[in-house]
Amino acid sequence: MTRWLILGIVLLTVLSLGVGAAGLGVPDPLILWQIRLPRTALALLVGGGLGLSGAALQGALRNPLADSGLLGIGGCAGLGAVIAYYWGVSALFAPALPLAGLAGAGVGCAFLLMFAGRAASGPSLILAGIALSAATAAMLALALTLAPNPFALAEITFWLMGGLEDRTLSHVALALPPIALGCLVLLRLGRGLDALALGEDAAATLGLPVGQTLRRTAAGVALAVGAGAAVAGGIGFVGLVVPHLLRPILGERPGALLFSSLLAGAALLLAADLLARIAPMVLPLAQEPRLGVLTALLGAPFLVRIARRVAP
Amino acid sequence: MRRLLLACRLLLAAVPVLPLAAVPVLLLAAVPADAARIVSLNLCADDFLVLLAPEQVAAVSILARDPSLSVVAPQAARLKTVRADAEAVLALHPDMVLAGAFGAQTTLALLAQRGIRIERIGAPHDFDSIRAETLRLAALLGEPARGDALLAAMDRKLAAVSSRAPARTPSHALAVQPRGYTSGPGSLTDAVLRAAGLIDIGAGRQVSIETLAARPPDVLVQAQSPAFPSLATDWLRHPALAAIPRRTVPPSLLICGGPWTADAVALLAE
Repeated sequence: MTRWLILGIVLLTVLSLGVGAAGLGVPDPLILWQIRLPRTALALLVGGGLGLSGAALQGALRNPLADSGLLGIGGCAGLGAVIAYYWGVSALFAPALPLAGLAGAGVGCAFLLMFAGRAASGPSLILAGIALSAATAAMLALALTLAPNPFALAEITFWLMGGLEDRTLSHVALALPPIALGCLVLLRLGRGLDALALGEDAAATLGLPVGQTLRRTAAGVALAVGAGAAVAGGIGFVGLVVPHLLRPILGERPGALLFSSLLAGAALLLAADLLARIAPMVLPLAQEPRLGVLTALLGAPFLVRIARRVAP
Repeated sequence: MRRLLLACRLLLAAVPVLPLAAVPVLLLAAVPADAARIVSLNLCADDFLVLLAPEQVAAVSILARDPSLSVVAPQAARLKTVRADAEAVLALHPDMVLAGAFGAQTTLALLAQRGIRIERIGAPHDFDSIRAETLRLAALLGEPARGDALLAAMDRKLAAVSSRAPARTPSHALAVQPRGYTSGPGSLTDAVLRAAGLIDIGAGRQVSIETLAARPPDVLVQAQSPAFPSLATDWLRHPALAAIPRRTVPPSLLICGGPWTADAVALLAE
């Protein structure tokens, strides 16, 4: 499986470097290195982080609906990034953007874990996530109406739909360290998540430090999702869909899904971004469809299917 | 001031035959007796109102004070500002409200119900419509001489540019706006580029950085980046575009078409 996923990523990467608004094929070196390479690298990074975060969250919370987007963690990250950007902090100190994104995501994760610790039932966690999403959406709107830029509300509408167009290598440099660190933290949680699948009490009797495993999950998700949202905007459903696609092949064990979810998330987001780039070439579109819109269009029917299966 | 008002009221109470309308005249002796109190709720209306009839301003919009958007920011710093909020506008007791073609519909409907005259200003898209709109507003505000003077200054600047013989073949220019939209034929920016002797290759469509890098124009015309952080203008800093020559124009000259737009032509023709 891993071999096939890596082969897929290599193929998609080659395609991605050869497709863009300037046409098909090997482009001018300037376009290749300054435009298509950052875009491809970010799609792989952000997608990998989202896929792995989804698998880790679903394992840690023992909830098949857990996803950074649905639980409002992506929204928290967006709120942090918006505050850092529109109040000029990131203009003075560029790493403030991913840092604020992951600070926001960290707060969201902490809130959800606190909640998950008290109420174990699946639906109540999703409800807490919906409440968190609503609260962050309201705070985001408030932040934007107070922002010094009078057009902030309009431009953020596009940003929240997620996208990777026109990013630069400096965006890659900003996002790479936190996402890589977050992925490392999450990848090492395999055995802990396998034990947690038996329930927190059973895991504790097996000698697993439950609290520590949950905290590490939260920290890893905050790093991977927060930095991803800071450079790519709101991209949802990747973390929800990827583990579900892999389970029929790899089985239910959370630990076995982690590395494959990283690869599959990267491949899925790069494929979606390629689709966004190809769409204006074959359809009468004035501009690319937003990446987050595509992932939501692909992911929402999936959510309906899962919800139907989970419902008693 | 309050004491003066009180004195006036006492005076009025003592001499009931004095007409009420005389009070503003007593207080603002410098203003001609027929001056109206005018509120502007639109940035472009602010520009025209302050240049044509500063004595009649009751309030301008808050955007008028932003030097990146308004050509009358220094004057507006000393003027009262008001939001497009019916209560706030009514409290100023205006005779007339200037508004843009769109927006603030419910506010304006409410003000009109209270018997306040609402005038909508146009959005000139070339120098002929700038002339027409300036004359119309100058007449509306009772300042035809100032309107003529503004237009005479504009025409002098335009004539100075067109009298300069182009030294070489005209450049192909692309004016890019936030988020990569280009100005197309029939737009104010198109008129400015042509008046400056450039060939406007914009089609009004959105361009991507990749398209620009693959087929760069001779010159990229951009508005000065705003002082506040803006995602929509950040993309012009993309390193793939660094090699394309640029001309920068203050956005205040192009946001609203008016006599001041000639300054943008002069800047681009330099």
